[in-house]
Amino acid sequence: MAVSESSAQQYQLQDPDVRLMLQVRDDNAAAFDELMLRYQNRLVTVLEHLVGRRDQAEDLAQEVFLRVYRARKRYVPGAKFSTWLYTIANHVAANALRSRSRRHEVNVTGKVSESGASSFLDKMAVAASGAMPARQLDKAELRGIVREALEGLNERQRMAVLLNKFEGLSYADIAEAMEMTPQAIKSLLSRARVNLKEILEPYLEDGTRPQ
Amino acid sequence: MSQEPSNQTLYDELTAYLDGELDAEAVRRVEERLARDADYRQELHKLERAWDLLDGLPRATVDDEFTKSTLEMVALSASQEAEAVAQELPRRRRRQRIVGIVSMVAALLVGFVVGTQIWPDPNRDMLMDLPVLEDLDLFYQADNIEFLRLLEEEDLFPAEGPDES
Repeated sequence: MAVSESSAQQYQLQDPDVRLMLQVRDDNAAAFDELMLRYQNRLVTVLEHLVGRRDQAEDLAQEVFLRVYRARKRYVPGAKFSTWLYTIANHVAANALRSRSRRHEVNVTGKVSESGASSFLDKMAVAASGAMPARQLDKAELRGIVREALEGLNERQRMAVLLNKFEGLSYADIAEAMEMTPQAIKSLLSRARVNLKEILEPYLEDGTRPQ
Repeated sequence: MSQEPSNQTLYDELTAYLDGELDAEAVRRVEERLARDADYRQELHKLERAWDLLDGLPRATVDDEFTKSTLEMVALSASQEAEAVAQELPRRRRRQRIVGIVSMVAALLVGFVVGTQIWPDPNRDMLMDLPVLEDLDLFYQADNIEFLRLLEEEDLFPAEGPDES
């Protein structure tokens, strides 16, 4: 991607992480340590919710940091550092998910269609029908429900949600990280929000879930 | 309010409104409708609550071992990189030396050509006059050039050939 001198300078002025990455480019090891410390928890969080497994998320995060290091000499600030980092993370995660599906492993995400239908929804429907007793949820159960709801989204919706919710990236930044248009991200996030709402509707209605 | 395709625009708008991604005119339009449409308001509320529930998801905290092993991986990569550069060095030096020699020879050739254009060879005129120079003593004995031309035209002294006697 061609980056103009003025936009590179602009990112350098506005983003301290861009300045750190430029020091990494000049082989400053301490700058790399600092960047890693700033991003390791955030990156593992996003990747864990994306691939559904902590151990794999850590492996992928290491792969991302390694790619950042190897790409340092070619680095030109053309976006916020976090956008650049999550562009790499998106590629690494997509490759991992692709090879996992090629190996026919169990899909831990319980992937559903764009409309968000899932076995989880079915369970919620059973609860709503009164076939099972319902009760108020404690915090851990609620976390479980929300995690399942997130895993009910497809891979791209999940990535967009995580970048927007956890990383606070704008539509434009998410679009850059996921190599899509901002308009496509707008639709993606809209569908993701609707799916989440539908999956979580029983809880939102009466605060219960099936036991 | 179900997720019919016709509702997609509505949800796009509500989502962008919640994310602060609408322009002022669109914000005004959404807020006008929120003020008069209870169903629309309720949908916004549900979308917002579902979104807020994500705040309860756990955030990862990696241990020191993760940091250490990542830095070790990077250090290994750096040393492999340095090794590759070191292996490449003799080959690169040889290439540089050949390029240097070729450049020097080319520079010498160009210099020679340019030099001969700028400073002509002082011996060139003497070489052109060599036939005259060789017989200079004879030419001194004749007083003028017209007399010599006449002699040549008369062919009184044909070029010396092999001795016929």
